[in-house]
Amino acid sequence: MLRALRRASDRRRHAEGEYGWLFHPYTGNEMVAIDCETTGLDTRTAELVSIAAVKVRDGRVLTSESLDLRLQRPASLSGDSIRIHGLRGIDLAGGDCVEAALDKLLDFIGNRPLMGWCLDFDMAIINRHLRPRFGFDLPNALIEVSQRYVRDLRRVHPEIEPNLRFEAVAKALDVPVIGRHTALGDAVTAALMYLRLEKGAMRGD
Amino acid sequence: MVDVDLSQPPFTLLDDAGRNRVRGGVDLAYFDSQEVILDAGQSGEFVFMIHKGEVAELDPTMPAAASRIGHYTAGDLFGAISILNGKSRYRFQAEQESLCYLLPKALFQRLCDDYPAFAEFFRQSLTHKARLLTERRAEGGVTMAGFMLARIGECMREPLVVDQATSIFDAVSTLNASHADSLLVCDGERFGMVTKTDLLNALVIEGLTQERPAIEVAHFELVTASAEQYLFEALVRMTRHEVARVVVVEDGKPVGVVELTDVLSFFSSRSYVVSLQVEQADSLDELARASARTPELVRALMAQGVKLRFAMGLLAALNGRIMAKAWGFAIDEAHRDASCLVVMGSEGRGEQILKTDQDNALILADGHDWPEREAQMREVTEILIRLGYPPCPGNIMVSNPEWVGSVSEWRERIARWAARRDGDSLMKLAIMLDAHAVAGQTALLDQVRDELFERCRRDEILLSYFARTALRFSTPLTLFGSLKKPQHGIDIKKGGIFPIVHGVRTLALERGVRATSTLDRLDALAEDGRLEASFAEDLGEALALFTELRLRQQLERDGEGEDANRVVVQQLSSLERDLLREALHMVKDFKQRLSQRFHLEYS
Repeated sequence: MLRALRRASDRRRHAEGEYGWLFHPYTGNEMVAIDCETTGLDTRTAELVSIAAVKVRDGRVLTSESLDLRLQRPASLSGDSIRIHGLRGIDLAGGDCVEAALDKLLDFIGNRPLMGWCLDFDMAIINRHLRPRFGFDLPNALIEVSQRYVRDLRRVHPEIEPNLRFEAVAKALDVPVIGRHTALGDAVTAALMYLRLEKGAMRGD
Repeated sequence: MVDVDLSQPPFTLLDDAGRNRVRGGVDLAYFDSQEVILDAGQSGEFVFMIHKGEVAELDPTMPAAASRIGHYTAGDLFGAISILNGKSRYRFQAEQESLCYLLPKALFQRLCDDYPAFAEFFRQSLTHKARLLTERRAEGGVTMAGFMLARIGECMREPLVVDQATSIFDAVSTLNASHADSLLVCDGERFGMVTKTDLLNALVIEGLTQERPAIEVAHFELVTASAEQYLFEALVRMTRHEVARVVVVEDGKPVGVVELTDVLSFFSSRSYVVSLQVEQADSLDELARASARTPELVRALMAQGVKLRFAMGLLAALNGRIMAKAWGFAIDEAHRDASCLVVMGSEGRGEQILKTDQDNALILADGHDWPEREAQMREVTEILIRLGYPPCPGNIMVSNPEWVGSVSEWRERIARWAARRDGDSLMKLAIMLDAHAVAGQTALLDQVRDELFERCRRDEILLSYFARTALRFSTPLTLFGSLKKPQHGIDIKKGGIFPIVHGVRTLALERGVRATSTLDRLDALAEDGRLEASFAEDLGEALALFTELRLRQQLERDGEGEDANRVVVQQLSSLERDLLREALHMVKDFKQRLSQRFHLEYS
């Protein structure tokens, strides 16, 4: 509700601006799977380390048309998060600044619907950086893959309490986990999960 | 960029930049079970690389049972041929849910343009693929593969021919002038070989003067070869005849000489070193040491990608020499001249690369008196065990009096076996058919074999019984023509090697072919017209493939031969799997022919 209101106001303010086209309804057949690695799990303080996006079209994950961005080293980059995503400060040398990275990201995703695993978390962080710089939140339609999974699973096996760990779901859907905890790898895996769900992986059996 | 496993051919034919282009250019796609990925007649837009799942290649014009052509699993590639041909000839259908990498047509074509070796890979037929695999195994040794394919003509030197009036003095000057080790003396139409050693012996030991004609010390029994033969065969010949040079003859005239040093400059492997050790051994211990080095030699030859047929030839010659030498140590000369030691089974066929067991027998001349024979034969068996030939579990050894006998005794035995034709007798006939003389009077074996052929080759009922054994084990193919994949692997000896060897043996018996090696028999049968040349060649290739697979496992397991016949299909690369399947189809085909020829359909 709040999001819808905010989007309506964003849209009105940016309708004539440089990014007005982002607010048009999407008519194509592509979607974008998105994932980011951050310095922490708190959406209020975590900084972006890398962002990846990959297009999905006609039941195919277009890894050849993917975006894999590394950002400049944020001040809060610490050992704890490096242990997870494996990007050290030195790996981020030569990365984009946040503004340039977000600009590239907006260019890449356009007004296509977005999908991802725990998309809310990624959206919260991206929007936190996006709003002060561009003045709007991402207006795209969102598809939460974990929710799709829960929905499909409930329909077939209402009695099962879904195990929503990323690896467990990947296993249940028979999707190989590609490069866990790299932004692109997680985005591709989430896209594959979505394709499996679309083809009725849960409904079939 | 996605993590794609590009460590298998054909991607190994690309460099790092090329592989990165593949990584950057591939997409991912999911296909449901039974979904048609690429239909017949459709133009190919992608090369598909299976990450997970199974895909079947179907010929939709065929009835359902026979339509299955190919089967692809994780790591396999398909669709490339469709791109090269413009459209797909067959239908590719997912058998399970499959995740594939898609390499777009445009990128694939650009890669083909930029990397000719990569493009070539897809244009290869199956036999070419097999060769590629062999060459790949010759780690960094393209030169080695080149050597195996080199003909004698490429390595021979001009013969140094002098006339019969040449004196020893002139001969030595000629040799020095041309830095050669040997020359040929021509005496009208005959040619004789004179080596430096001969000249030295003539001058020093026999005390001839320098003015005497060189022809007096020449050898006229030349070891010859033709220029078209493989260089490797020259080496085999040198090993077998214990000489250091082979004369290349064309139309009865010498056109060149291949010196051992020339071959060695090509071939710096250990084969000559081992055979030299065998020849120089003058005690059993030394012989045992030389004999212990043969597995190492096999390993080296395999690593260099030597064609199995030639490796087998070399090893058979070497094993023969070792046995003859051991025989010479153990038995008096008087007895040696009146007897013949024969090896049988795989050794007799020259197909035993590693020493698995000793199958041997003794043929004595009629009326030869040898009282202490039994004790000496036991000794021979012991010696061979010491040399690394394990005893035969079936007790087919000279220490067993059943496998020792005079020519007339052997004839009686053969007559008895042929009349009885029960399992045991048929097996003994088969063993005897593969007999090959390694020491003593080879003529004795010929007499026994004459009897064998005479008695058996026209006996249709016997032949039919004989052939039936070849069908005893089923071919490990499924109803749909793909490989069976049991967990414990398929038995390649029962499923592949045995039917070919025994079937070919049967045909050889029928046609009176005297060669003992299966490959030679195939050649002879093709020449005889019993088999089409192409079919014979394919069978030979199939046999070589099975033997090679088995040999590799034997080498890996280092002699613990229990399971070496079991090949676990899942562990093979896709290319090897393809070859194995093709080869097993050849076996199936051959069995069908056998059952038609010998009327085994209902037995």
